Amino acid sequence: MTEPRRTAGLATAPASAKYLIDLVTDTLDPGYAAAASRRGDDRSRRWYDRPAVALGCLLIGFTVVVAYVHTHRGAPQAAKVHAGLVTRVRAAERDNNALDAQVQALNNALARARAQAGAGAANGVVEHDQVLAGQVAVTGPGLQVVLREPAAPTASPSVGRGDAASIGAANILTDRDVRSVVNELWADGAEAISVNDIRLTPTSAIRFAGEAVLVDFQPISAPYTIRAIGNSDQLDVGFAASEVASRYHTLSSADGIGFDFTQQAKLSLPASAAVNPRYASAAPTPSPSGSSR
Amino acid sequence: MIAALALAAGIVLGFVLRPTVPTWLEPYLPIAVVAALDAVFGGVRARLDGIFDSKVFVVSFISNVLVAALIVFLGDKLGVGSQLSTAVVVVLGIRIFGNAAAIRRHLFRA
Repeated sequence: MTEPRRTAGLATAPASAKYLIDLVTDTLDPGYAAAASRRGDDRSRRWYDRPAVALGCLLIGFTVVVAYVHTHRGAPQAAKVHAGLVTRVRAAERDNNALDAQVQALNNALARARAQAGAGAANGVVEHDQVLAGQVAVTGPGLQVVLREPAAPTASPSVGRGDAASIGAANILTDRDVRSVVNELWADGAEAISVNDIRLTPTSAIRFAGEAVLVDFQPISAPYTIRAIGNSDQLDVGFAASEVASRYHTLSSADGIGFDFTQQAKLSLPASAAVNPRYASAAPTPSPSGSSR
Repeated sequence: MIAALALAAGIVLGFVLRPTVPTWLEPYLPIAVVAALDAVFGGVRARLDGIFDSKVFVVSFISNVLVAALIVFLGDKLGVGSQLSTAVVVVLGIRIFGNAAAIRRHLFRA
């Protein structure tokens, strides 16, 4: 019942639609039928039949395999390069940690040797200088400031929004925020400061690279915990009254960043790996250099 | 028989030689593969229909590859390369599918 109607539909189809119909119904190359009708009943083999078929099949197999090899060679190579880079980064990190530990051990040995050598007054000066330079682990009362990124907007109702906006929103805090808190704490009388357990020294830099805050070239991520050792009452009062604290109070209510600071009876800050000055050397002035510190 | 042998030889040759595909040839590789598959299925179907012709087989394969590559090349020059390569893959894909269905009807009578 449907057959006649279908063929009628095909016959009356516009030319453009006919191409599509031909495409679907006549999938075999018309050349085969044409060649068969040309040859008629002549079924004899021609001399080029076998070589031609062999050549065609050879080409087809070759093409398919080249494509296969090409596709599968590229992907593992990219993965290999990536894995190699990751291994090298990890190895460099391990080396760095090992060297850090070595520096700490040697520093401890040096301190012990110095203590054995006596010279009490000079020893006290050296120790005091080392504490200020961040070369030895220190402990004492102080203030702890925590800066947190706003709660991640993932799985929040803003599904249809562009990704760029949410990425920007997820990283409000930058090196500038960490730096302003650190500077305020120095100004309030802190004697030693660490950021996420990286001790700050007189040569420390707090920078921004990509989406990570770098402290002395070591990347850290939120939450940023800034610990400062000093007179905890003085630090607390000075920091609470500062313009920095009021700014982050405002930001915490407006942008949703986490900000709080608490007095701590006992803080332990790690030592920083010593950076020996390469260019600066003590000036040969007759004035007592100790008093300028 | 000779077709299967030649196919296997081509596959072995490809694996042994592992030729590096030049960059300018890369966009045409998928097209060539689809054209090759179309030629294989078309040839098998023609064989089953009893109208296989070696000249048509080889010439149609080579000309399909060349024409498809030419279309994609022109498309690349005119800024519609990816759309045209999609078109080529769709057309050849429909043919492959139809030929595979015809082969199935021949082999299984279903």
